[in-house]
Amino acid sequence: MLLQAGYPFTAVVGQQQAKRALLIALVNPHAGGLLIGGRKGTAKTTLVRATQELLAPRKLIDLPLNVTEDMLFGSIDIEYAVSKGERRFLPGILGRANGNALYIDEANLLRQELLTAVLDANTAGFNHVERDGISFTHEVNYTVIGTMNPEEGILPSHVLDRFGMYVDVQGEMETADRVEIIKRALAYGENIAEFRKQYAASIKELWEQVQAARETLTQVEVTEAMMQLAAQMCAQAFCAGHRAEIYLLEAARAIAALAKRTYILPQDMQEAAVYVLPHRMRTPPEPQEMEQEDQPDQEQEENQESQENEEEAPQNPDELPPPPPPANEEEDEGSEEDSEDNKEQDEKEQEQQDSNQLAPDEQIADIDRSFKIPKLVLDMGKNTTLRRGSGKRSATKTDLKQGRYVRAELPKAKVEDLAFDATIRAAAPYQRMREDNGCALNIQKEDLRQKVREKRIGNTFLFAVDASGSMGARERMRAVKGAIFYMLQDAYQKRDRVGMIGFRRQKAEVLLPITRSVDLAQKCLAEMPTGGKTPLADGLATSLLTLAKLNKKDSELEPILVLVTDGRANAVEENGGDPVTAAIKMAEKIRKAKITSVVIDTENDFIKLGVAKKVAQAMGASYYSLRQLSKEQILRIVRNLGD
Amino acid sequence: MKRTAVYPFTAIVGQEDMKLALILNVINPALGGVLIKGEKGTAKSTAVRALAELLPAMDAIHGCRFNCDPHNPNLFCDDCAKSHVSGANIYVEEIPMRVVELPVSATEDRVVGTLDIEHAIKHGEKKFEAGILAQANRNILYVDEINLLDDHVVDVLLDAAAMGINTVEREGVSYSHPARFVLVGTMNPEEGDIRPQLLDRFGLSVVVTGEHDPAQRVEVIKRRLAYEDNADEFIAGYQDEQEELAKKIMQAREVLASVTISDQLLETVAKLAVELGVDGHRADITVIKTALTLAAFNGHAQVEMEDVKLAAKLVLPHRMRRRPFEEGQLDWNKVEAFLGQEA
Repeated sequence: MLLQAGYPFTAVVGQQQAKRALLIALVNPHAGGLLIGGRKGTAKTTLVRATQELLAPRKLIDLPLNVTEDMLFGSIDIEYAVSKGERRFLPGILGRANGNALYIDEANLLRQELLTAVLDANTAGFNHVERDGISFTHEVNYTVIGTMNPEEGILPSHVLDRFGMYVDVQGEMETADRVEIIKRALAYGENIAEFRKQYAASIKELWEQVQAARETLTQVEVTEAMMQLAAQMCAQAFCAGHRAEIYLLEAARAIAALAKRTYILPQDMQEAAVYVLPHRMRTPPEPQEMEQEDQPDQEQEENQESQENEEEAPQNPDELPPPPPPANEEEDEGSEEDSEDNKEQDEKEQEQQDSNQLAPDEQIADIDRSFKIPKLVLDMGKNTTLRRGSGKRSATKTDLKQGRYVRAELPKAKVEDLAFDATIRAAAPYQRMREDNGCALNIQKEDLRQKVREKRIGNTFLFAVDASGSMGARERMRAVKGAIFYMLQDAYQKRDRVGMIGFRRQKAEVLLPITRSVDLAQKCLAEMPTGGKTPLADGLATSLLTLAKLNKKDSELEPILVLVTDGRANAVEENGGDPVTAAIKMAEKIRKAKITSVVIDTENDFIKLGVAKKVAQAMGASYYSLRQLSKEQILRIVRNLGD
Repeated sequence: MKRTAVYPFTAIVGQEDMKLALILNVINPALGGVLIKGEKGTAKSTAVRALAELLPAMDAIHGCRFNCDPHNPNLFCDDCAKSHVSGANIYVEEIPMRVVELPVSATEDRVVGTLDIEHAIKHGEKKFEAGILAQANRNILYVDEINLLDDHVVDVLLDAAAMGINTVEREGVSYSHPARFVLVGTMNPEEGDIRPQLLDRFGLSVVVTGEHDPAQRVEVIKRRLAYEDNADEFIAGYQDEQEELAKKIMQAREVLASVTISDQLLETVAKLAVELGVDGHRADITVIKTALTLAAFNGHAQVEMEDVKLAAKLVLPHRMRRRPFEEGQLDWNKVEAFLGQEA
């Protein structure tokens, strides 16, 4: 294998939890593997790579993101088939990983169905392959080690659950430690061999400890009392399912074995809990919620709540495990920092106000970063058309020869994107029967297979925001900005494109043309002033125009219009018409243009005029009030079919 | 290969940060590349392509498709490792370091490599056909408009950049080979963001803007016209300057290993990183490496505060974002005040 000589495990400064969890995982494969989460540059990958030396003679097998299914699960042995005319199974990565450790770098970027298949095969203990005319089952037993950076999006809880252990790593904050890290990095870069020599003894010692622990492991007993303790701990943490107890006990066994003991102490269990419990804790279901059992998305809410609750969990390892991976960045930063951020933001805004010389009726509200809106669900119906683009929101098949090659299939028409590997696999067994054409392979039409590619396509969101004086009651605009901010964050992770239109005074203005830069959108949002009348009709007209232009450029994108308004249309129309009538007329045009949209109604006054709702109806839009948003579980946007 | 005329690096007017960042990466490929941000028409691509002329020659193992370094057996590819272990003769050749381009439209199989179709048909055997990452080993990998790169191509780039190895498990082939490259990317921020994970892989970043000084602008036009008028003559006019710079780079490469840095400066950098709240440790390490390289380029035997300051300016700005998509800003006054008080 390549690169035997990496950075030594024992040369990594700090990161005690991650190191310890890795040792447990290496000693006991039944502890369910390990997922390490952490920001960039925190030695995640370095640590995992370094375990190679501690594993020997076992190996650390890489599972790269570019993997195709046949290579992962195994397939027909082409070379054997060509020479012998027989089908034989050639193991894939899972086969090679058997008895070894399997490493997935950036596990959250791997296609999720592959990730769960890898984890489930290990739990089941076998890999069953049914492809290319081969039917084969083989045993698997490996330790899955994954790393991920939560900034790139996190794994859903049902996938997270499948990892036995989870550790969150952070950079060291002590100056002395940081200096040491720099020094070692420089020394390593200067002369790898020399550097490694210094750590050879400590590596050997650690290797021996792991080996010895693996032998001791079989003798470590699990007593009734420990089982009871495990059940108790898991019940306290409201863990879903029964995997938690098993992983807890297995991890504790490894800890005991590493300490050269054949019995488990309660403190082993406590240490194991630090790694096993944090990512699978739930909150107790509340009685009121139990009454509304007919709600389909009960579990989701529970998840959300549990995540919030987990954050409040104390950091003290003696009491409870550290918090799990952040549900999103907003929550990750914790509340203390939030308030600080807000203060900073406030100050910034203050400065801006001072310098920008706002008109007397104008003001700039800051963003309420604590505003949360429910999960956004796009109900776009079946999408059978092939699309182009790049992003993460919707997985669609693509007809371009781009996108990730996921599998091969029998061609339905003329083959344009030949899956050569699959074609050879189909042809290989027949070679001895076919005429010799001078090549080793005689490929015939029936062998041809074509690639199925998958590409995730981001959506395009155009925000049309009412920035009139009536919205300007400061708190309301803060909440509006908070809601949009939240959607923007979501858009970032999903690689959506966004644009922004503001309307106030006499006209609407494109503040931000459609762009992939969510950064710009956020800036634009923060700086958006409010004041003046509400030219609702013009806001809608400008939106329609922007989207029509976009459609011409790229007819395969399906943009979504998000209209945020209180509906108090009062700007005078050029022809002297009624502003509300004009707005509704324009809304109907949007419906006819089949533009999918959602209206977020911010009307909050005692006397409701309900114009926004009427506009939503005319537009064929999904409708939510701002207040409703903070209570709903799902913000559903339904495709507008134009009728 | 046919040699096409290239605008000389030393003839580029202004853009000192960008030129310096590129040169530093040539002197010390371990810096981790550079991201050049700027509007259209600010000589970004010209500079990167011009850099090729200044690249030094390097020793490589003859016939190795990954240009393995004969002096570093730790990083050999499988074939070279085999010859090395068996004691077979290894022939060393001198080849120029290159700029390998990764076009935005590149497909994943072209980037990581794939099954050699011809070989499979003719011989019924599987063989790995190397991709762009193989060519890029020990060279400069240049991605123009890197922010427009397809997500899944970015994923494989990250995978390779993380450990300097490209692992291929696709289309019937299973292969890994060294892929250590200097990543140079250019982007126009108006056209979209770059993922934070990829951003962090860049050692340095610079922002280029068009020159504002009218005299400078006139100079840009004059040189461009002269170049278009008679490229050969124009290039000849810069030959001396080019050679001088190339020589300076070579000298810096030679002395780099002997440049030292005081513990006090190391501490200052570590404290600065904590003060600014950067993620992880890559920022600290890169500031130091850059400062060492700067000292070598300037012919100093020891790193001085000025080197650290300039290094911080090149290394820190793109590492300041605390959340994906929050405006990350480096408060340069804060850095200067901090360094001033430490000095």
